[in-house]
Amino acid sequence: MITVALAKGALLKESVARFSAAGLDFSAVLDPDNRQLMVPSECGRARALLVRNGDVPVYVAYGQAQLGVVGYDVLREHQMPVAQLVDLNFGGCRMAVAVKESSGYQRAADLPPHCRVASKFTRCARAYFDALELPVELVHLTGSVELGPITGIAEAIVDLVATGRTLKDNGLVAIEDLFQTTARLVGHPLSLRLDRGELGEIIDAMRAATPTPVVTA
Amino acid sequence: MALQPASGARDLNPQQVEHNQLLRERLAAVYRCWGYDEVSPPQVERMDTLKAGGGIDSADIVRLVSDEPLGLRPELTASIARAATTRLAERPRPLRLWSSGTVFESCANDEGGQRIEEKLHSGVELFGASQVNGELELLSLLMTSMQALELQQNHGAQLLVGHAGLMNLILSPFVPEVRHQIKQALVCFDRLQLQALDLPAEQLQRLQTQIDLRGEPSEVLAEERRVFGSQPVLCHLERMFNHLQPIAAQQGIKLQLDPSFQPHFELYDGLVFQLVCQGRAAPVVIARGGRYDRVLKRFGASGHNAAGLGFSFCLDDIRDLPAAEQPCVSDLDRVLVAYGPASSLETALLHQQELHRKGINAMIELDPVESSDHAESLLATRRCSSLAWLAS
Repeated sequence: MITVALAKGALLKESVARFSAAGLDFSAVLDPDNRQLMVPSECGRARALLVRNGDVPVYVAYGQAQLGVVGYDVLREHQMPVAQLVDLNFGGCRMAVAVKESSGYQRAADLPPHCRVASKFTRCARAYFDALELPVELVHLTGSVELGPITGIAEAIVDLVATGRTLKDNGLVAIEDLFQTTARLVGHPLSLRLDRGELGEIIDAMRAATPTPVVTA
Repeated sequence: MALQPASGARDLNPQQVEHNQLLRERLAAVYRCWGYDEVSPPQVERMDTLKAGGGIDSADIVRLVSDEPLGLRPELTASIARAATTRLAERPRPLRLWSSGTVFESCANDEGGQRIEEKLHSGVELFGASQVNGELELLSLLMTSMQALELQQNHGAQLLVGHAGLMNLILSPFVPEVRHQIKQALVCFDRLQLQALDLPAEQLQRLQTQIDLRGEPSEVLAEERRVFGSQPVLCHLERMFNHLQPIAAQQGIKLQLDPSFQPHFELYDGLVFQLVCQGRAAPVVIARGGRYDRVLKRFGASGHNAAGLGFSFCLDDIRDLPAAEQPCVSDLDRVLVAYGPASSLETALLHQQELHRKGINAMIELDPVESSDHAESLLATRRCSSLAWLAS
């Protein structure tokens, strides 16, 4: 049986729609009364695992799920050995460096060396500041990262920005983008090599149902 | 005080040890039958040897704190190749060696810390065998070894075969600077990385065809001939599969030629293969191998001596396959020697010695038992099949 890992949260509804276009109906997971974490498809030939965003590449990398849908930001952060198959071109946002509007910083390179930067995505942030050759102290936070500069725990943050409204409402401004991110269809490399066409059909159908992909930085 | 073993380290119970031993012996019998001699390479080696001249990333090696750069072997091949190119260099070729033992692979755990994967391996190395001849012997031996393991139909064994020569054909139209990135994308099955390389549409289309090309060997070979023409590597593969197909069919093993397949360790520069079975929830690679002439050259071998190939089974992974044969320790023919209050432990020990002399497995119930009925009731707990009761 095909197992698919779906991320709870913002990507779930569209992920279900894309799998539906490929013939796998997991709409039961969208039922507000649903408490099941493993849900069979309508046709019975697949099942969906409802997991946290960051756990999608883990289930796929270990082969417990052959396919999964997750944001490119999560793939960059977790660096798990999964195959990126299709840019599904939804859930678009950007990973950005943001500072207090009043700080006067125009670019990431303006930040003082050894300043503190708060983020949920410390691996992405580390790679970015290493490339800039700017030494910073990274502070790992698991949510409400915007509070970092407000409380003074950090000079800047690295976080996902969709519309920029949360930043604005908290007196912050994005000064530089690390990369653009969208939802990706990922697969377990060994399962894909062993596939006798069943996974390939789903992947092709999802690719066909996807609008023009966005090229990421 | 931490009482748990280190993450990834093995801590086996008696049944697991017994099963590993059984698998090891079955494979050893096949290797010996084919004329292979056993060697026992060290678990600790110099890092230069373990890295196999760049074939293995130092991040995959568990390093030791010592005055010189030392590490634990992540696989068996590099150590045996070192021996074959040094103290065994004068031995006549082909040189056939086998070994079994523990390997330690270092990898990052989910929190970014080090995880040590400890596994029991058993495998062979064949030195001084030319192209195709060596491959034919090695894969035939692999098939016979598979038969000896008595894997079941529901394990769905599949042999994935690739070839560095085939990968080179795919990469040959591209400039060297971009070849590594293309290879990475093909090996990791990463279509998006391939698209991001900004290649001309026709070249991208050809690579996408290659990433999707795998399956029944004769069909894949026919397609590759159409693309690349008649090439020596395709002729070699054809000869090999012609020999293997009937054997594999008889054993229920599916053969798959996969041009974009390359293993994690970059030891190999010719044939590469993985034997995959269906595990409890995901496919499991139970054996891997290939040709590694380049490693031998890096170790100083030349000419006929710079030819080596081999494979290695992971016994722990085979043992853990679902419904695999589980040898039961309780099935052992073992006698429980028990004594009553009127007898003594010393008498029981003498009786046990007598049984051992007759070749009978016997173990002692150390404390006196009040009756023979009570002693009988202990048989299942002590995993013994019969009782020797000493009343007085």
